Amino acid sequence: MRDAGMEETKSPACEEFEPQLVLFAAGELDASEVADLNEHLQHCPGCNLALAQEQEMLALLASRHTEPDAALLASCRAGLEDSLDQQEERSWLRRTIGALLPSSWISPRPAWSAALLVLIGFSVGMLGPRLLRNSVGKGGTNSSVASNNPAEAVSGIQSADPASASSPSAGLSSLDMRTASVAGINVFPAEDNQPPQVQLQLNARQPYTVRGTVNDDDVKQTLMYILHNNQRFDPDVRLDAVDLLRTRNNDPDVRSALCKAVHTDHNAAVRLKALEALNGAEPQDIIRQTLLDALVDDQNPGVRVEAINALRDMAAKGQVDADDHLLAVLRERMAKDPSTYIRLQSAEVIRDLGPRQKF
Amino acid sequence: MGMSVALDIEARQAAAVKVAEEQALVRKAQAGDRLAFEALVRRFDREVLRLALNLVHRPEDARDIYQESFLRVYKNLHRFRFECSFYTWLYRIVTNVALDHLRRRTSRREDQAPVPEDAEGGTRDFFDRQPEQRAGANPERNLLGQELGEQIACALNRLSPRERMVFEMKHYQGLKLRAIGDMLGTSEETVKNSLFRATRKLRASLESMR
Repeated sequence: MRDAGMEETKSPACEEFEPQLVLFAAGELDASEVADLNEHLQHCPGCNLALAQEQEMLALLASRHTEPDAALLASCRAGLEDSLDQQEERSWLRRTIGALLPSSWISPRPAWSAALLVLIGFSVGMLGPRLLRNSVGKGGTNSSVASNNPAEAVSGIQSADPASASSPSAGLSSLDMRTASVAGINVFPAEDNQPPQVQLQLNARQPYTVRGTVNDDDVKQTLMYILHNNQRFDPDVRLDAVDLLRTRNNDPDVRSALCKAVHTDHNAAVRLKALEALNGAEPQDIIRQTLLDALVDDQNPGVRVEAINALRDMAAKGQVDADDHLLAVLRERMAKDPSTYIRLQSAEVIRDLGPRQKF
Repeated sequence: MGMSVALDIEARQAAAVKVAEEQALVRKAQAGDRLAFEALVRRFDREVLRLALNLVHRPEDARDIYQESFLRVYKNLHRFRFECSFYTWLYRIVTNVALDHLRRRTSRREDQAPVPEDAEGGTRDFFDRQPEQRAGANPERNLLGQELGEQIACALNRLSPRERMVFEMKHYQGLKLRAIGDMLGTSEETVKNSLFRATRKLRASLESMR
């Protein structure tokens, strides 16, 4: 490459034409610019030399320029096909999910997307509560109705005590009972020996009403919730709840709630009422144990009296087994209870159990 | 004169048909037609590979640029809205990938993996590994050719990635400065300045050969 042009003495081009020479060599000058340059070149040896050197340099670089060979091209194509295969395998799920993502349709059409989102938001805002209300109404029991009215509406219950038996029913799940209070329980007697209609008025973030009979799960769950969370509700409400649940005292959940009220309610009247409510229930160990616990532990004489009366009644009907524990408790009460009545009744129960028991 | 006009019209018609075919292929590829995408690749991949190879001079690096560029095209094809030619859009991607590659290489040049060594233990660039066609079997000319290759490689390495890209696209891809500006996302004036700077640097680097 050390040829003619390269060997010649360096002769600087005219400064104003230097860019033109580069652009001329690059084929970027238009016809008039080329004419001007040619005219200048006719009497400027420096620019002539510079142009020759420019073209020679480009030729030199071009001589080292290379074309990709067929093998390299084939290998690139094969590699790309493999990558595309892998890409398709990896991304089919991503594309499927991506198509569902809002960003895939929001970004290409922002105006339409904004309008659609406003419409969806409006529809959800208007129709959502109604649909929810309807579905909850259908999800509950047939005859119970929950409303936040005046306008009929749906309510729900979430138990504060997850371990308790009064777990919320599906239809009542939207009302958070943890913040609710019971404004009142109204009972409307029914004809033909039907269970009375109950109306539970609840105050949560908005007022709710649960209506139905005690046979309805929503009503039952609400009443049981009241007993299980006795510290949060007024004694009057708890008394009403016990009174209403009495007719279902053979229901295991109700029986358990009543026994718990006997054990834990801090109001003696409620405990007494719960004991009364257990009267007539199918005799069970849980009831016998509840009566014994009340007889031994309850500080209120009235409750203990009710407990011994219930035990005597059961003993008279032969509904309790005279085991050692029972007899021991009765003997202790007979000897130590501060109430004369309880001491006498304890002796009566022991006597009732006598024919089946050797002393 | 009449003949030349007829040829011109014919050429324009052929170009229009080619563009229509290209757009149809793009639309099919956008709809998920893999064969259409591969047909598009085959239309342009030789030029892409040539650009990459002459920018980076290492076949393995050129292959990386080729692969990454077309994978990006594949992933982003749904975003192509026919606001420019597919060729321009493709080259925007290719130049971006290649510039990234050149910049990375510039920044790690010192700890770059060595290229294969020659018999004397020196490293040789791609230029040096190419057979010197014109030298024939003459050892002296072979040596000259090798020296020349080294000097050119050295001169090109002194250019910034963008200057290198502009110079390559102008002189060896035959693109107009305006088109290069479109592809690089810059103005024609900026491209022109890059070309001037590249030319000046190359001229200075190759001065010693004169």
